[in-house]
Amino acid sequence: MEINKVLPPILVLIVFLFTWSLGASLYNMPFLLPNPLEVARAFVTDFDMIVGGLWITFQEALYGYLLAISIGISSAAVMSQSKILERSFYPYAILLQTLPAVAVAPLIVLWFGFDMQSVVVISLIISLFPIINNTLLGLKSTSINLVELFQMHNSSRIVNFFKLRLPAAIPHTIAGLRISAGLSVIGAIVGEFIIGSGSMGGGLGVMVIYAQADLETALVIALILTATFLGFAFFMTVTALGHQLLKHWHESEIA
Amino acid sequence: MISVSEVTKNFDEVHALKEVNLDIATGEFVTIVGPSGCGKSTLLRIIAGLISTQGSVEKPDKGAFVFQDAALLPWRTVQKNAELLMELEDGFSKEERVSRVSSALQQVGLSGFEKSYPHQLSGGMKMRLSLARALVLRPDYLLLDEPLSAVDELTRELLQEEIHALWKEEKFTAILVTHNVAEAVFLSNRVVVMSPRPGEIVHVVDVPFKKRDQLLRSKAQFSKLVNDISGKLRSWK
Repeated sequence: MEINKVLPPILVLIVFLFTWSLGASLYNMPFLLPNPLEVARAFVTDFDMIVGGLWITFQEALYGYLLAISIGISSAAVMSQSKILERSFYPYAILLQTLPAVAVAPLIVLWFGFDMQSVVVISLIISLFPIINNTLLGLKSTSINLVELFQMHNSSRIVNFFKLRLPAAIPHTIAGLRISAGLSVIGAIVGEFIIGSGSMGGGLGVMVIYAQADLETALVIALILTATFLGFAFFMTVTALGHQLLKHWHESEIA
Repeated sequence: MISVSEVTKNFDEVHALKEVNLDIATGEFVTIVGPSGCGKSTLLRIIAGLISTQGSVEKPDKGAFVFQDAALLPWRTVQKNAELLMELEDGFSKEERVSRVSSALQQVGLSGFEKSYPHQLSGGMKMRLSLARALVLRPDYLLLDEPLSAVDELTRELLQEEIHALWKEEKFTAILVTHNVAEAVFLSNRVVVMSPRPGEIVHVVDVPFKKRDQLLRSKAQFSKLVNDISGKLRSWK
């Protein structure tokens, strides 16, 4: 990696931390605005707890995300098969997006219980739509000449799907997955806010609530940074996967 | 032999083709020229069986279509793109595929590029690959829809010579649609001139030249024939 690629964002970070630190010293109300060093200290002293919370939120978000990927891609695949199917179901996919997940959460708790599965379901609902939407767009944007080429050589619907539409949709699906990566973590945190710790112990969201109640602001910030890192890690994983799949042929990944 | 009879096509309110009759002998090279929107690409797709029609088309079993933009699968290597139609048609063993692809790539001068991806090829090479992909089927007829409209002038002339050589070697029946009258004259036994919409065949011009090479382009008879046909096309403008 070249130095002039890494240096600018690091400089921005240093300036940001310095300004924050200066502001915190001048303001001098650590329970409202702790110094960055105190946040670092919270990371060290509460390390085991943070890692424990991270592990739980990681599982919730991962299951929600994996479910969103499988349900999203398969429902887009079904909708791509006919105009009627698309017209019948796509409006409800949009409603899924406009559905206020936070408001629905109590209902989900009623149905799935005060436990991890409810958090997973909320994470799923929040991260589903971009995957459906982008995959469907990709499945439908195959070039007309390629469709005609396959038609002329008698390819079946199945062959057409797996050899033409699905590979052509991959760049779009990856774009949807990148949007949903962060959303799945947001969904898990929102779920924890409403559902609480359940039987599996508290995740990062639950810990944020408790730390806030105790005015442990440095810990709140440490937890938020951890959740942010988790979403970022999901994003980077999908981006790396996308790079592997597209590096030989798609404009976005060709060096 | 390809026989098009009484082919008429309307898209809703648009009359695209009107009572087109055309017989093409086995092994013949026929080019269709006409003003934009005259329905010549539609006629080619009707012959391919991609568009339904009133009227009838008789043709041999094995055919292939070469598209204007090469229509390659960008995620497949040159080798895999050339194998595509054999995968779709079934009944080709792995060995058969490999040997047919290697000889077709040889014919179009793409040997050594088997592992490349389409984005690494020039416009001319993409079109060569598209031709190779069609040739592996050993087609009885080949339908070409403005295959050379996207390449530069020099490449265009070279590819015309290559298409001519492939046609002589493989002896398929060819129907080409193009805007370029010189290209039509250079490649064909007959040039079919269509009218603006609704497209009708208004002239059929025989092209008498025996030898098709670079020299032909500078001959007076060649230019005269090109001018004659261009004149017929210009009469609608």
